[in-house]
Formats: sequence, C-alpha cells, structure tokens
Amino acid sequence: MNEHADVVIIGGGVNGCAIAYYLSKLGMNVSVFERNYLGSGATGSCGAGIRQQWSTKENTELAIQSVHMFEELSDELGEDIEFSQGGYLIINHTEEELAQSKKNVKMQKTLGLDVSMVSVDEINDIVPVLDVNGMDSVGATFCPTDGHANPFKTTFAYAHAAEQLGANIHTHTLVKDIKTKNNQVSEVLTDKKSVKTRWVVDAAGAWSSQIAKMVGISIPNKPFRKEVLATERLEPLFKAMVISFKDGIYFSQQPEGNIVGGIPIPEQRSGFYELPTFSFIQHMSETLTRYAPALRDINMLRHWTGYYDVTPDARPILGEDSKVRGFVHCHGFSGHGFMLSPMVSRMLAEYISNDKESSVLKRLRLNRYEDEDIDMEQNVVG
Amino acid sequence: MRVNNIPNVRTCIAPLTEDVTVETQDTFASWPKETHNTSATKADACTVDVLIVGGGPAGLEAAVQAAKQNAKVLLVDENQQLGGQLIKQTHKFFGSKQENAGTRGVTIAKELEETVQDHTGIELLLESTVIGFYEDTSSDYFTFAVSKRKGYESSIVKVQAKTVIFAVGAMENMLLFPGNDLPGVYGAGAVQTLMNVYGVKPGNHVLMVGAGNVGLIVSYQLLQAGILVDRVVEAAPIIGGYHVHAAKLRRCGVPIYTRHSIKEIIGSDHVEAAVVVRLDENWQEIPGSEKTIECDTVCLAVGLTPSTRLLSQMGVKMYTIAEAGGFVAIHDDYMQTSVPGVFVAGDNSGIEEASTAMIEGKIAGVAAAIQTGKTSTKQAKELLDIFASELASLRAGPFGEKPRIAKQKIQTFWRKNQ
Ligand SMILES: Cc1cc2nc3c(=O)[nH]c(=O)nc-3n(C[C@H](O)[C@H](O)[C@H](O)COP(=O)(O)OP(=O)(O)OC[C@H]3O[C@@H](n4cnc5c(N)ncnc54)[C@H](O)[C@@H]3O)c2cc1C
Ligand SMILES: Cc1cc2nc3c(=O)[nH]c(=O)nc-3n(C[C@H](O)[C@H](O)[C@H](O)COP(=O)(O)OP(=O)(O)OC[C@H]3O[C@@H](n4cnc5c(N)ncnc54)[C@H](O)[C@@H]3O)c2cc1C
Repeated sequence: MNEHADVVIIGGGVNGCAIAYYLSKLGMNVSVFERNYLGSGATGSCGAGIRQQWSTKENTELAIQSVHMFEELSDELGEDIEFSQGGYLIINHTEEELAQSKKNVKMQKTLGLDVSMVSVDEINDIVPVLDVNGMDSVGATFCPTDGHANPFKTTFAYAHAAEQLGANIHTHTLVKDIKTKNNQVSEVLTDKKSVKTRWVVDAAGAWSSQIAKMVGISIPNKPFRKEVLATERLEPLFKAMVISFKDGIYFSQQPEGNIVGGIPIPEQRSGFYELPTFSFIQHMSETLTRYAPALRDINMLRHWTGYYDVTPDARPILGEDSKVRGFVHCHGFSGHGFMLSPMVSRMLAEYISNDKESSVLKRLRLNRYEDEDIDMEQNVVG
Repeated sequence: MRVNNIPNVRTCIAPLTEDVTVETQDTFASWPKETHNTSATKADACTVDVLIVGGGPAGLEAAVQAAKQNAKVLLVDENQQLGGQLIKQTHKFFGSKQENAGTRGVTIAKELEETVQDHTGIELLLESTVIGFYEDTSSDYFTFAVSKRKGYESSIVKVQAKTVIFAVGAMENMLLFPGNDLPGVYGAGAVQTLMNVYGVKPGNHVLMVGAGNVGLIVSYQLLQAGILVDRVVEAAPIIGGYHVHAAKLRRCGVPIYTRHSIKEIIGSDHVEAAVVVRLDENWQEIPGSEKTIECDTVCLAVGLTPSTRLLSQMGVKMYTIAEAGGFVAIHDDYMQTSVPGVFVAGDNSGIEEASTAMIEGKIAGVAAAIQTGKTSTKQAKELLDIFASELASLRAGPFGEKPRIAKQKIQTFWRKNQ
C-alpha cells in the first residue's frame, strides 16, 4: 500500500492526538502512527496536573493559554475530559524559596494569572490535612485556576474528534524509518505500510530521540523513569494539588477519593528502566505521611512507572528543524507535557498549515542550545 | 469497615480481638480522626536464600525440602493459618493407592504445618501478602514488597531473596449473568471457607453451578451442614467430577442437570431466585426452557484460574494453555521458569490437585536450594529424580489426563524457547 498524507505524526499520546485534531481542523490530511495503543506512553501514566505557576515566561504563557483551552475543551471536542480547577498549592520551605516565589508571582501576574502568596496560617484553609510543621513550611503560593483533567479521556477525545475530521489513526503500528530527499522529509516507513509526506511530527515522547536519529538529528533529551502511587479511597476532602520543589513531591486527591502522587527517588538515573523501585515506596510514604500524617494507616493500592522526556533546561523542544525541512519537533516536555498540550499542539498545527510561527515557538527551537545562556525552568517536581 | 479508627479494614479476614471499635463505612472511607502525628518509618527488611510465596500444600512442601537442603527459607502466606485450600477440605482425599488418599485435607495441612514449624531453617510470615516485585540496584537479589498485617494495621516489609518459588494457587472463576453481583452469590471456595473454617452457614437454599469435583464436594458438605441444595446445574454434557462424589449426592436426592446453566438472578438487594436454562449441543440457551428456582444462595463452582500476576510482573515467559486453566508460566522439569531463580509449584503452574502440588513443591524446593549453592548437587539430583517419578505415576491414571496434556504443552513450549 502506498499512501500519501500531508502530515505524518509519530506517537499517539496527548500531543500526537491533539496535533492531529488541530491539523485536521485546518483542513490537512493527517496520519498518526502509534506503536501500541493511544496513551500507552507517558500520557497514560501521568499525574495529569495542570499548572500555570512556572518560573520561565514561556512555560507560564503556554500553560495559561492551555488552561483557557482546557476550559472549553469538553465542549469543543464533544466528550467530557473531566477538567476541574482545584488549584495548585506550592509549598515553600526556605526564605530563598519564598524570594523566588515572590519573583515568580510577580512575573506570572504580569501575564494575567490569578496567583497569590499564602501565609503558613492560611495553608490549612486550602488543604486541611497538611501538617505545616511536618512539611517544614514557611509559606506557599496558590493559583485557584490550576487544575487537573483525565489524560485518557483527553487523548481519546482529541483522537475521536480528529478522526471525525478525517484523520487516520493507526495504533499498533511501529515507525521504523524516515526517508529524506535533499534535506527534506519525504516518506515514513512503518512495520505495516509506508506513507509519502512532506511533514513529519516527532511526538514520540521519551522515544523521540530514536525518531530524530532516523533523519540524522541528535537531540539532548534523556528518559527518566518516574513513579506514581495511588492510595485507597478516602472521603474527598481537598481539591488542590500540593507540590514542593525542594522535596520533589506532588499529590492530590482524585474525585474518586484516591490520593495520587509521586516523588523522585534519590538514586535516580536516566534510562529505560521499567520496574518500580522499592526506594520509591519508602521515600514516598515517608514524605507523604510527613505532609499529611492522617495517611499513615492508608494502604497503597497501585504503583506504576512512566518516563519523563527531559531536556537540559526542562523546557520542550518545539518547531521545525533548521537542518531537515519538514521535520517538526514536539518533545522534551520534561514532566509537564500534558498541561501544555492544547496550546503547543495548536501552535504547531498553525505553523505547519499556515507557516505561522509564534514568538514562543521561536524561543523553544532546538537550536537554542547552541546559545551560551539558556533560561532554566526552576519549578520542576516529580 | 473502620476498626479502631483505621479505615478500609477487611474485617472478613481480620481477627476479632477484645475492645475493638468496629464501624461500618460507606463507599468512601472517612479520614482517620486523630492522627498519630508520626510519619511512616523505615520498612523492616530481611534477606533469604529461598522465598516461598504461598503456604498451601505446594509452598509447605517446598519450604521443607529447601530447608532440608540447608537453604535459609522464608515462607509468606496471606492467611492467619497455613495450609492454603487444604484447611477447608474436610473430606477424605480421593486417589488410588497414593500416600494421601483417604486422608482429609485438613489433616494433611496440620501435619505439614507441624513439620514446617519444627524446622529451624524456615521462617514464617503469616497474614502477609507479597504485593510486588521491585528494582533495588543495591542488591543482586530479587526484591519484593510484603504487606504485613498486624492487628488492624499494616506495614511493609522488604524481602530480598536469591531465589523465589511461587506457590500462590489459583482464583475461582466468575460467570457473567444479570444479578451476579448480588449478596448471596458465592464462589464455591468461599462457601467452603465459611462453613468449614469459620462454621458460618452461607444460606438456607442453594443452587450449585458446576458439577466438577469442587461443585460436587461442596454440595455434599452443604447437605451435611443441614442446608438444602436444590440442584446442581452443569453446562457440559457430562459430569466432570469423580463418580463417587456424584453418586453420594444422588443418593441424597439432589439432581444433577447436565447441559444446563444459570441465566440470571432475581432479587433486588439479595438473591431471591435464579433462572436456569437448558443448553443445546452448541452450548446455546434453548428459548422457552427457562425454569425459575427459589433460592437464597447461588454457588459458582466453574473452575479455577492460576494466579500469575507476580510472575508476569517479573517477566517470566507465559502461554495460555486451556488444560492448565489459562495463562501459565512455562518451566523446565525442575519447575524453574524462564527467569533463572524463579520457580513455580502447585495450582499456579496449572490447575491440578493437592497431591501433585505437594510433589511439585518438593521438586521446586530442592531445585531452588541447588540454585542457591547451599546443597551438593549429586545427592539432591537423586531426590529430584525420585520426586519426578512419583509425579509421573500420580498423573498416569485416566483422571490425570488433563494435567498430563497441560504439562506436555508446557514442556513443548519450554523446548521451543530454549
Ligand atoms: C509519572 C509522570 C507524571 C507526570 N505528571 C504530569 C502532570 O502532572 N502534568 C503534566 O502536564 N505532565 C505530566 N507528566 C508528563 C506528561 O505525561 C508528558 O509530558 C506528556 O504526556 C507527553 O505526551 P506526548 O504525547 O508528547 O508523549 P507520550 O504520551 O509519551 O506519547 C508518545 C507515544 O509515542 C509512541 N512511540 C514511540 N516510538 C514510536 C515509534 N517508533 N512508532 C510509533 N509510535 C511510537 C509511544 O508508544 C507513545 O505512546 C508526567 C509524566 C510522568 C511519567
Ligand atoms: C473443593 C475442593 C476439593 C478438592 N479436593 C481435592 C482432593 O480430593 N485431592 C486433591 O489432591 N486435591 C483436591 N483439591 C485441589 C487442591 O486443594 C489444590 O490443588 C491445592 O490446594 C493446590 O495447592 P497450592 O499449594 O498450589 O495452592 P493453594 O492451596 O491455593 O495455596 C496457595 C496459598 O497462597 C496464598 N497466597 C496467594 N497469593 C499470595 C501472595 N501474593 N502473598 C502471600 N500469600 C499468597 C493463598 O492465600 C493460599 O494460602 C480440591 C480443591 C477444592 C477447591
């Protein structure tokens, strides 16, 4: 079978499916290839928190715009993605952290975000079960419009809407190679068929560097195994996601009552390690019960792993490659690619279809690493 | 239920002690009222030569044999009492001239338990469930998390083992039909546990589904407990269980309907009646043949499925083999799976019987000890040959046909993978 597509998207995570939707909406003919099932990568194992409180302007802007889109997304796609806005409470432990928070809040406010500093006494008004002393907290920041959505439902909703607009989504199809002609992509070969195309989007998450390598591009991304656990169900009590950059912990209570959260293990190393670690159980339960002692007698129900696709500055790599024409980067989300997906995907679709390149996209191109000083994202958890 | 302020306690398996506060709990557990104000502590840890998961006949025999070969053994079982399925089997075991024929399952369990308890090389961890396999880069051993219950609290123990034997048994199968989630619908194993272990009457008027040995034996035990068994329905054209068990039931006036199955259950908050239906040669329901039977309990004895989740998490090679009861790990003649150091024995390596589970356990116990380097290979090898021939003779009869086929298929897959 010899097919043609305007755009071939590699990866059926939230980003691949969202780009397929926005491109289809712009009238382009799209094929998506996913080697397993939709959401089988990071998307299906993620925390699915949506936060706008970032330290770099790019991430904050992208996240704010994404939240506006999330607010309308269930209606637009015609399926409920379970978006809810319970806010993010960021715990600070030191005076330095407080100072950085003040700086961030100021920058975030200039971008129009509803965010504020929270004193130690006010923390329990937002999340009652927290032990302020146990957490060793000196204050916090809170943004009430941060939130959460169901990652599976979001991905499926994008995929279904894209298919209705004519997109071809092929699951269980592995991309094996990409052909180029005169530094321009020309064809994608899979284990089932090959498709001629002038555009390829690399949305393969932690496996993106394998795709980039097919056209001779080396990218600085590294996969890191991340772990999440879910506890037994408890009466829903708080809506905010609690996070700490110092401890690396994040957790929230799902509408079904389970506490879901993660933390990095101290002996973290990069690579495709799939097994969960004992160290995580130990570390997570120690820290979680220090934050919320009431969880001491609550059992862990499940524990799973997924990969962060991490770049040197913890910001994504987006846009068309400067050497291989038609090859579009959409990866390196470093643990926050779900929340950015609506805006990032729409911008990339607009670039491919109308050659429109926003200033944010320009600043997140791969060649930024050739510069001397890159702006490092500080607000990373998990 | 909530016990002493701890939510989500499975009171059906938690021992009742004095001075406890038991509160019912709806869908959500409420948050613990007063908090201990302490965070979780470091997990207990232990390191062993052979970890045995499951203390049924297979696990118990494995423990004895591995310990006899000088291995340091840890035996973990989720129940309070050792013995696995045996502790509810009050009937005399069926079999030809085999060693345990004529002995009751509970008696076999008791004897095995005593042997295990006498052995200094075997450490026991009861009321503890192996919940997962984990990576631990600081050690070459297999690392497992064990959830240990103590009273109503539970904690996690980290167990590191050079080798591991899975003897976790099987799970009862469920059937799909309207009303199968109503109180009063039980697995036959659960009914047996209620009656024979706890002395609790599960109901007054029972419909039994399935005429394999389990369905037949449990029906008879229900009668012995003074409970009315209306009938036994069986989808297959013939009775699957042994003739003696079927004959006993018939003598008591309980009819066995082959080519019949359950269609649905009637009742709003518990079983009030069940509709049974006749099946044609293609196992399809014959319209108009429905019959409504008044009953308060429906007991499902429709087969077992090997428990293989931990094995699958460890990445051992598995295949679906119908005669083994489903998805099982393939293994060599000494019960070692495709992951060196990981062994299987008993029902989780293919549904069979206690007698064969015990011998598989013996083989796995010796083989694991050899693997740890704690025993002289030649002497132990002789033992393995003796056990292997015992196993072969047990499976030789007509009733051994299904497991014989299952094990042949496992062998074929094993060779193909070498
Ligand atoms: C534990 C954890 C918690 C997280 N928490 C959050 C959070 O709270 N908020 C947030 O915003 N983000 C979070 N993230 C990050 C987020 O999950 C990711 O950034 C996001 O899901 C990336 O989506 P994606 O579509 O780009 O990639 P993925 O979902 O990884 O999809 C890539 C797909 O490409 C497929 N693929 C790879 N190679 C090939 C090939 N050769 N051929 C065909 N298909 C291929 C893969 O199978 C995969 O399905 C978390 C991540 C993890 C692991
Ligand atoms: C009604 C009935 C009648 C039977 N009659 C006979 C007969 O007459 N003759 C005969 O030979 N056989 C008979 N059997 C079959 C026999 O009982 C089983 O084949 C045998 O018990 C299997 O032994 P096992 O050790 O593999 O598993 P089990 O006896 O099932 O033991 C497994 C043990 O592992 C524990 N376990 C499981 N998972 C975990 C975990 N993750 N962590 C810790 N512990 C765990 C379980 O709780 C259980 O205690 C009968 C069975 C039934 C149901």
